[in-house]
Amino acid sequence: METAQHILVVDDDREIRELLARFLERNRFRVTAVRDAREARRAWPHAHFHLVVLDLMLPGESGLELARWMRSQSDIPIIMLTAMGEDTDRIVGLELGADDYVAKPFNPRELLARIRAVLRRAGEPAVRRETAGAAALCFAGWTLEPARRRLLNPDGVEVALTGGEYDLLLALVERANRVLTRDMLLDLLRGRQAGPFDRAIDVAISRLRRKLDDDGRRAQLIKTVRGGGYVLATSIERR
Amino acid sequence: MTLWPRSLAARTAVVLLFTLAAIQVAGLTIDALDRQDLQRLGQIRDVSVQLATLYRAIVQAPRSARDKTLAAIALPPGMHAAIRNQTPFDAGGRLPLAPEPLERAIRVAMYLVRMPPWQRPHQIIMRGGLASERLLVAMRLPGQDGWLTVSTRLARPQPWHSPSFLAAFALMTVAAALLTIWAVRRLIRPVRTLAAAAERLGRDVNAPPLSEDGPTEVATAAAAFNTMAARIRRFVEDRTFLLTAMGHDLRTPITRLKLRAEFIEDEEQRQKFMADLDEIEAMVAATLDFGRAATASEPAAPVDLAMLCQTVLDEAADVRPEAASSLAYAGPAHYTARARIGALKRALGNLVNNAIAYGGGARLTLVPPERGGKAEVARIEIEDDGPGIPPADLERVFQPFQRLEASRNRETGGTGLGLSIARDILRAHGGDVTLSNRAGGGARAIVTLPV
Repeated sequence: METAQHILVVDDDREIRELLARFLERNRFRVTAVRDAREARRAWPHAHFHLVVLDLMLPGESGLELARWMRSQSDIPIIMLTAMGEDTDRIVGLELGADDYVAKPFNPRELLARIRAVLRRAGEPAVRRETAGAAALCFAGWTLEPARRRLLNPDGVEVALTGGEYDLLLALVERANRVLTRDMLLDLLRGRQAGPFDRAIDVAISRLRRKLDDDGRRAQLIKTVRGGGYVLATSIERR
Repeated sequence: MTLWPRSLAARTAVVLLFTLAAIQVAGLTIDALDRQDLQRLGQIRDVSVQLATLYRAIVQAPRSARDKTLAAIALPPGMHAAIRNQTPFDAGGRLPLAPEPLERAIRVAMYLVRMPPWQRPHQIIMRGGLASERLLVAMRLPGQDGWLTVSTRLARPQPWHSPSFLAAFALMTVAAALLTIWAVRRLIRPVRTLAAAAERLGRDVNAPPLSEDGPTEVATAAAAFNTMAARIRRFVEDRTFLLTAMGHDLRTPITRLKLRAEFIEDEEQRQKFMADLDEIEAMVAATLDFGRAATASEPAAPVDLAMLCQTVLDEAADVRPEAASSLAYAGPAHYTARARIGALKRALGNLVNNAIAYGGGARLTLVPPERGGKAEVARIEIEDDGPGIPPADLERVFQPFQRLEASRNRETGGTGLGLSIARDILRAHGGDVTLSNRAGGGARAIVTLPV
């Protein structure tokens, strides 16, 4: 078995810090938990971290400043913990290049799923750096804005997506012209949806096709790959 | 009274116009009476001069040639003259005596016309006058030469028949009407501004304040309005702050509890524990939503409303797969409108979730505004097949923390804020939401949204 991946948890609440550390350790991660930016900087040189779980609201130096500093140091994936439903924090966090965000109070298992998904994505080096930080990803006239988690049609009209649909579309766009296996898609949807995941993927794909005006029978954009998988068959322009 | 207009501006204009018209009629009448007097004086002067010159011509002619002279004189139209020996009036006896001013004028004229005093008429008898439109004058020639009698027609003065009169009246009326309407509209404008500001405040507490200039009364009203708006804003801010602070403070303990739940060995207990926490979290989230709905900062942007409606249903299906088969959308595949997408999604989501919780499903129908219709309002209907809502509660359920029958609600959960939030959001969009019962049973939420 490979060595456990090392996660840095930065949160000012002692109980949350300790409970989260215990929870992640139980799920076979190594965890270093610190209370603020100062301690995080102190711990930084002593270990090779694979991922940071960072609370946005920290005493003293804010989570955003710390994230910016970490970004200047390395490409380490960052998951931001933000206040529940605060859209502005979410936007700022993602614009800074955080790989994902989880709103507090979070479901620990959802956080775990996100950590795993982000780590997996980080394992595909070609994908990660290309999309993180891009303000807009344009494909076939459509525009996906990761910072604001929104999709605009060729007329600039916003088309609503459910959370699962958005994650699915982003994954497809990030890996345009590459096949996404059902396993990868399952990872994305896990923790988001109740019910059987297998069906959820088919449902989400058919909804996405409908929203992208991509006829299910003769799908041109999201093509089904025989043997179980999907591919977004178009070129992506980053802005 | 149906002719009495509704608007203040029109009423003021009507009152002013009537007043002006009355003043004009009075003024023109006085002018006409004056003119009548002038016409009379002119008539009297003309007649007396004519009479005097006629008399002089006759009296200075040789006695034998008088008849011939008279016949040779061209008399003005309507005037007849004759020389008689006796009884000057046989025909005009029924006429009244001539009025004094006329008589005096004729006597004066006899003096003004140059002739020797002995030639002046020894006696003048007059009958008739302006009122009878006829004048008979008998002037006794000196000596025993008889009478010169003249009968003439006096036209009644007609001051109203002046050709400029009607034109002047019409012109003044039109000018006065235009000026009045213009002035009244200007005067009433602050009232309209105030009404518009009140309407705006109803939608958006953070609407900019009214300018406090203009006439004293208007400035005072505007200042009072601004003070009121500021108080409402402070109240809303306080409420929002309280709710947000509460929600934020609850985040940490809920997060801790969720983490702690992961260490509960008994899986069944753990799941129940998590379900309770989720319910608490949903309530906190709804409370935060409620606080935030009033102070929405999300900008309005073009949104595919049809797709939004379908996404709302999709999300509901994701959360409650058991209800997925009873969710349906009817309407166009695409319809673009300007809206705050996040807020609108929350509002429609609350309505759909309500329909699922109480009616077991939701049928959502999007009706775009009719082409060329007057009001550009899109309608969204959300129907369920549940038991409906008691008529007395149709409005009450929109109040915060009001629910239907507490007993049933324990199963369905909810915070009693969903409908309040939905209505707050839709009203902030300039629309509204109302509930009604369908004829065939079940409830129907009708959303109106100006586009």
